[in-house]
Amino acid sequence: MFSIIFTWVIVAWGAIACIYMLRCAWTRFPKRDVDADDVIPFLYPVDISLAESILDPATEFECRWRLEPRRFREAQRKRMRLYLELTRRMAHNARVLVEYADAEKNSRDPRRVNVAAAVQEKAIGVRLYSLLTGIKLRFWLLLRADVLNSKPVLAHLRTTGDIDGLETYGALKTAAAAAFNKLPPDAIDSLTRNL
Amino acid sequence: MNLLLRYVPLGLLALLLLVLIRRRAYRVCPCFFVYTAYGVAAGVARLMVRLSILLNARDYAVTYWVTEGGYDLLGILVMYEVLRTVLGSLTRDWRARLVFPAVLCGALGLSLARAHAIPVHFSSHLASEIMIGEIAVRFVQVFVFAGLVTLVPVLGFKWRQYPFGVAMGFGLYATIALLTTTAFSDFGTRFTFLWSVVSLVAYSLAVLIWIWFFSVPQKEQTPSSELSAPSPGDLKQYKDALRRMR
Repeated sequence: MFSIIFTWVIVAWGAIACIYMLRCAWTRFPKRDVDADDVIPFLYPVDISLAESILDPATEFECRWRLEPRRFREAQRKRMRLYLELTRRMAHNARVLVEYADAEKNSRDPRRVNVAAAVQEKAIGVRLYSLLTGIKLRFWLLLRADVLNSKPVLAHLRTTGDIDGLETYGALKTAAAAAFNKLPPDAIDSLTRNL
Repeated sequence: MNLLLRYVPLGLLALLLLVLIRRRAYRVCPCFFVYTAYGVAAGVARLMVRLSILLNARDYAVTYWVTEGGYDLLGILVMYEVLRTVLGSLTRDWRARLVFPAVLCGALGLSLARAHAIPVHFSSHLASEIMIGEIAVRFVQVFVFAGLVTLVPVLGFKWRQYPFGVAMGFGLYATIALLTTTAFSDFGTRFTFLWSVVSLVAYSLAVLIWIWFFSVPQKEQTPSSELSAPSPGDLKQYKDALRRMR
């Protein structure tokens, strides 16, 4: 019985995947032109210095040393929620840039295609990091890992799935700067503020 | 069923083999290339045995099941190649290497559980085992395909690339094959004709998908050396942009 139910579940999953791919193939035509106006206003600002401070082991050690255990757990949960929000923003920005890169890949200029490939590669890394970190953080927050388990160390979140999150996001920013370097200075300013 | 219609997939596979040779796909997907070449050879061998007046139905059955076993082994290898290509470009984490063995073990377990619940009835013991293996391979193909498709919206993967095309063809065929096999075993032998026709159409569709994917050259995924040598004007703009970002 169990195996039959599982078989039907897998068949349904496969059928949904087929329908999704059909939709992907269908929506390729007509191709939509995505330009800077479809990117810059849609980006959420990510405070990298804040992320650095959350992941800094020294800051965490100081909090642990300075606060009493209950207060430290509360502070740690706040820091977890804050970092979850930052990773969400990183993932969102990466998604916006992937869409831009997808459109750029149809360009006839090989340099633009290469720059778009670099943006897309880094964006996928950022999204994978955000996904894995998000799962870990939600798991910690949901199960109150700080109470049940030994205290979760946020500094360990810097590298997840062999991906250094902040370094990869930095590389994505660099790739995006290369992709948008033809924009007027005010647009570049908006991009730098929002990314 | 008409013998000509039965061998439509063989013609399409031969066309696919030509496309793969033209695109030099043996460099990108060597296992898939071997699978296609094997598919053509196996199809020709089955046709020869069927048309030969010296050989009987038993010889055809032996040829059929032996070649079917080969299809299963190569199907597994192709799925391994697809997963290794996609996950290898994504992460170097050692746990990524455990994904395929886990999928394989899960599929094999599920196929054995299914065979226990609905026993496969064949005169030959070897044929029954090949059938169980075949269902396990279909499970692996659906797992890998549906898993990769799930990564498209989650990670923003570009789906128009060769490994996705290979997984999509196998995924479509395996989904339909599992669906018809389950319906066949659940609802009885009145599905025999439908089962054979649907399988044939699904496999032909899968081969058409592969031809479609391999008919265009794959775009470069990694940035080339051109990026490292921009013009002085570009370099200045690029530096300004980076300076503003920091």
